[in-house]
Amino acid sequence: MTETGATLLHAPRADDDDLARLLLIRHFELALLDLFGRGELNGTTHTCLGQEYVPVALRRLLTEADFVFGNHRGHGHYLARFDDPAGLLAEIMGREGAVCGGVGGSQHILRDRYVSTGVQGESLPVAAGVALHLKRTEPGTLACVFIGDGTWGEGAVYEALNLASLWRLPLLVIVENNGIAQSTPTTRQMAGTVRARAEAFGVRHHGIESSDLSTIRAELAPLVSEVRIEGRPLVAEFATHRLGPHSKGDDTRDPEDVRQARAGDWYRLYGEADPERFARADEAQRAHVDAIVRDVSARPPSRWEP
Amino acid sequence: MTTLTLAKALNEGLRRSMEDDSKVLVMGEDVGKLGGVFRVTDGLQKDFGEDRVIDTPLAESGIIGTAIGLALRGYRPVCEIQFDGFVFPAVNQIITQLAKMPLRSLGALKLPVVVRIPCGGGIGAVEHHSESPEAYFTHTAGLRVVACSNPADGYSMIQEAIRADDPIIFFEPKRRYWDKSEVDLTATGLPLDQARVARPGADITLLAYGPMVKTCLEAAAAAAEDGRDIEVIDLRSLNPLDMGMVAESVKRTGRCVVVHEAPVFTGYGAELAARITEQCFYHLESPVLRVGGFSTPYPPSRLEEYYLPDLDRVLDTVDRAFAY
Repeated sequence: MTETGATLLHAPRADDDDLARLLLIRHFELALLDLFGRGELNGTTHTCLGQEYVPVALRRLLTEADFVFGNHRGHGHYLARFDDPAGLLAEIMGREGAVCGGVGGSQHILRDRYVSTGVQGESLPVAAGVALHLKRTEPGTLACVFIGDGTWGEGAVYEALNLASLWRLPLLVIVENNGIAQSTPTTRQMAGTVRARAEAFGVRHHGIESSDLSTIRAELAPLVSEVRIEGRPLVAEFATHRLGPHSKGDDTRDPEDVRQARAGDWYRLYGEADPERFARADEAQRAHVDAIVRDVSARPPSRWEP
Repeated sequence: MTTLTLAKALNEGLRRSMEDDSKVLVMGEDVGKLGGVFRVTDGLQKDFGEDRVIDTPLAESGIIGTAIGLALRGYRPVCEIQFDGFVFPAVNQIITQLAKMPLRSLGALKLPVVVRIPCGGGIGAVEHHSESPEAYFTHTAGLRVVACSNPADGYSMIQEAIRADDPIIFFEPKRRYWDKSEVDLTATGLPLDQARVARPGADITLLAYGPMVKTCLEAAAAAAEDGRDIEVIDLRSLNPLDMGMVAESVKRTGRCVVVHEAPVFTGYGAELAARITEQCFYHLESPVLRVGGFSTPYPPSRLEEYYLPDLDRVLDTVDRAFAY
């Protein structure tokens, strides 16, 4: 992995649909921070600013029959799977139309074959169980679980990797390695590498440096296919960047590190590659999210009726 | 006297303990450079170094397990669990090793580990961040369980806990972290296992700990306007329990209400009610009543005002006690 993470071999390209999805997530996250700033949101939130391209790239490699497990930084995971920013915002704000009636909030979403939890590593054994079930009942489908670099501190990760390898489970582990676990740099909390850890269990590892959607998909497509068909678990590790704080007001990084992260931001790279089209799409999504915020903010509180 | 918030008082207590004993270590998630999410360990890494204030991986089980190993070798680790709801991955180590090892050695082996847990709700947090898991630990033989309620106790109790040779679960009421009061930094506090009369009264006894002590004091002040004289006892130590002070108070007042944030069903209040019934039966004018959370997962922040016991629920229950 390079120091700066998401490097590019050529100018990135995205079709209109991908670009819209990338920018939707970006503006959704910015809107949340704005709502917090104005005291309109409770609790906390973990934005995926800088990492939006990871779930968007995976979107076309996954099918509706696959399970996806999001994590604490999961708004992008959800929005890449469902075109439902209003439902997610209502969930976070506890308003009518919320995905889970407002009782799940930012980190605990359950919808069809999408599940998220904020507790680090807890999803992995669950995903392994789902993958075992899929292998037996729906061959060709898989369980995809998003984790971070910090999650590798949790023992549950290793219990799950062991099972996945031992039982040849169709488990796709996506590691969004943004180099920092809340406030602790990965170099200060991880000995060795994710690759070596995966390989210790006989689980294949693939590292991804690019933020270009087509490059990522070209690299991953044959590997994901093997996960499905051969039940060969895969750890795909993205070298990415978290542009914002962990939640709010807890960014202890050196400003130079943050500056470097911003320099590698896909938003800037995509903007430079095709300025006019990008600007149009950017403005469209900004307006789209503004309208959703106005709509959802005006709704009455959600009701939970099991 | 110095005016401190509870968070700062705990910070000062930790600092004093680290100065007094080089074997005291602080470890946990983001306790170093960040100073913990509630800043209770603020500045300690800067002043005592990375060897004594250790940022750990996200591995609660690993944190407690490592602390046990360090304690076996003579250290006094103070572990921070970032939020109450994150303690559950560590429960295996806490129950299986920390609580049992000293008992298995018939006390020959000391494990002076303090597990600090910010507990309770009231700060508008998300799921896993507002729980009151004390009963799991009071139920576990071999652990001491304490809860501070104010800055002065925070300052003295954390030092007492670190000095003690037993494993201690140390609850800190997170919504009171920013409450300020006077702290005498030169004073020696009460022994860790003693309760405290937070407000003397003659008519009825309220038993509380941690975040609910303040709520009970507010209820007592409100009731005083109606001529009702409420005694509030801050238990401070849940295990062992200062039953002497509890029984003396209840025998004198004849009535008792227990208040905690945790669900009432098989909560800590059930143990108190049972013991008071056993020891004060002929003095009781009414059954021991309980006020607490409901048997649901802790609700989303917009609903927590309905879940958490407040002044009205406490006073309604006091009224019920007098209606017998």
